Amino acid sequence: MSESLTPFNHRPDPVLGAALREALQPRDPGGAVFRARVLAAAERQPVPVVDVLARWARLGIAAAVAAALLTGMLVGRVGRQAEPAVATTDPGAVVAGVQMPDASLLLAGYSER
Amino acid sequence: MQTEPQRPDGAARTLRDAVEAALATRARGGDRAAFGDLIERYADQARRVARAVLQDPDDADDAAQDAFLAALVKLDQYDPQRPFGPWLMRIVANSATDRRRRRTVRRTESLEEGFVAGGVRPDVVAERAALNDRLRGALAQLPPRRSLAVTLFDVEGYSHAEIAEMLGIPEGTVRSEVFHARRRLRTLLADWREAE
Repeated sequence: MSESLTPFNHRPDPVLGAALREALQPRDPGGAVFRARVLAAAERQPVPVVDVLARWARLGIAAAVAAALLTGMLVGRVGRQAEPAVATTDPGAVVAGVQMPDASLLLAGYSER
Repeated sequence: MQTEPQRPDGAARTLRDAVEAALATRARGGDRAAFGDLIERYADQARRVARAVLQDPDDADDAAQDAFLAALVKLDQYDPQRPFGPWLMRIVANSATDRRRRRTVRRTESLEEGFVAGGVRPDVVAERAALNDRLRGALAQLPPRRSLAVTLFDVEGYSHAEIAEMLGIPEGTVRSEVFHARRRLRTLLADWREAE
């Protein structure tokens, strides 16, 4: 406390600083317990920005995968529709098919029996 | 009363700033371990600064925790070209000041009452504890900005310019706040020493 007592004093007062430091020191200095506490709170925090960004990234990837699957399914369906109708006389197979049954085939099946 | 080293100067300070900027960048990218390192580096300082405003250690820890969580959310606003400490301490100061404003005003022990020179002092530990109580009481009587200014300058070693930026006030006002706080606290310390 030997420094002159003026507002223009540029240097920290080591004695006063040490006294205040001791008075303000946490009861458990070191930071480990506090660090654990803050990190746990950060995990509980509703939506930190980094998580939002990470979630956006995850959503983007999921959307891209979903779009690729949907496109694949559509392409596959169009391809199947382009294939010729199965020529069968079995009514069960015709009913189980995706496409509308060919009436002439159905009638032919019944006429054979 | 042990005098702890102030903030490093020169090359050590530049290196520390670079390391902390890198940690902040990693934390912003979602690296929780990097964020944990930053917490550990600044935990005690943040808790002391918060306590200078709030006095109660639990309130101070809550304010410091809020500040770290706010910093995590705001990391994208941090400029890695600048030191991390002042940026964080600005958030801590705001957090503590807001909390003090919000909380129910508690009765703080008056600096004068109970401080009787030459009173019964059983041992050194009790003396120190009493001095610490009185210093905290003195800080409690100061406006929050004044408590912050003297703590950031004399305890944490920040410059007037850095404190001015943290508190959003002119540098001359910081000098004035530190001056008035010191005058009050030095008187208290001197009285205490004379009484020893």
